[in-house]
Amino acid sequence: MSEEAPKGVYRVRDEVSLLRSSLDGETEAWGEIVTRYKEAVFGLCLGFLRNRADAEDLTHDTFIRAYENLRRYRLEKRFSTWLFTIASNLCRNRLRHRRYHPVLPPPEEVSGGSDPAVVVGREDRWARIRRGLNRLPDAYRAPIVLRYYNDLTYQEIAEVLSLPEGTVKTRLHRGKAMLKQAIEENGVIHHERG
Amino acid sequence: MRGDNLEEALKDVLRHDVSVEAPHLEGLEERIVAELEGRLPKRGFVETLKQLCAPTRGARLGQLAVIGATAVVFLLVGTFLVGRAPFLGGGPNRTATMSAAAESGNAVLFLMPAPGAQSVTVVGNFNDWEPTPLSDDDGDGIWTASIPLSPGRYEYAFVVDGRWWGQDPLADEYVRSFGDYSSVRYVGRAGEGA
Repeated sequence: MSEEAPKGVYRVRDEVSLLRSSLDGETEAWGEIVTRYKEAVFGLCLGFLRNRADAEDLTHDTFIRAYENLRRYRLEKRFSTWLFTIASNLCRNRLRHRRYHPVLPPPEEVSGGSDPAVVVGREDRWARIRRGLNRLPDAYRAPIVLRYYNDLTYQEIAEVLSLPEGTVKTRLHRGKAMLKQAIEENGVIHHERG
Repeated sequence: MRGDNLEEALKDVLRHDVSVEAPHLEGLEERIVAELEGRLPKRGFVETLKQLCAPTRGARLGQLAVIGATAVVFLLVGTFLVGRAPFLGGGPNRTATMSAAAESGNAVLFLMPAPGAQSVTVVGNFNDWEPTPLSDDDGDGIWTASIPLSPGRYEYAFVVDGRWWGQDPLADEYVRSFGDYSSVRYVGRAGEGA
């Protein structure tokens, strides 16, 4: 433990140093890791689950699970990719849970909040995109979020989702096509398996 | 909407939604640090253990007797739990205690005793939590499926007549999320992802 170390010290330390300190039990160092990645992890969870409360829960769980498994992390991998893999697995578990426990209330839609400065036309288009994302099958939404929110490469998405790179490209392509159609048809998804 | 425009709009929507909801993450790092610190062993307990492990000559016999008695109690409680707890030894059919995912070359054998069941499937992160049916061709109540898996860590559960069965007694470990158990199987070398 490092009760003596002022919190500000961690803000200027590099990632590897923070991870090593975390492994040594310096939980404040892990707190700085949380600060740096919480929004990215939350964005992934929110994109996957389309539900703020669930996304908050799983953001918390991701950092706890990652800390517990930190000894399994290998430095040759990007830390963010490893962290996103954990978040992605937790999200898929939650989605699986929803599938087999239909008594749970349906997920609320992400509203996007209200911004008085936005143009009405853009709001309408964004609302259609949100509806399309909400209705997109999980398998197609996940790579879209990792690509367009988390800015991952195809290879990194493949690693996070444990899929071949070719499958990632196919799902991105099909996912966008379904989304485009849904936007044009006001949120209706036509899903073809395969 | 052209492809480029859709991609830009997707980025805008996903980032905007996160920025609207991100204030809910305030204080997350403090909560996680507090939770992790709460899990660390109490110093008094550690000191007590050290004292027990390095006793004075005069007290050694008495302390060894205490340790021995504690071990016996744990052993008895453990034996009792194995006999009672369904996730440690029971199953839908208590006489059928062998449920296993055994490796065979590249294929992993998933095996679930469920006499009288109408359908048994396995779901896991290897099939995107989509059911893969098990079969019982000889009608002996033992349902099996052989699924090729590359080395890694896999979470899975059986679904027997639509009912979740997440505790494969011979799984390598269990994870519990959202109130349900899932089994974990390591194939080949242990997966690096958590």
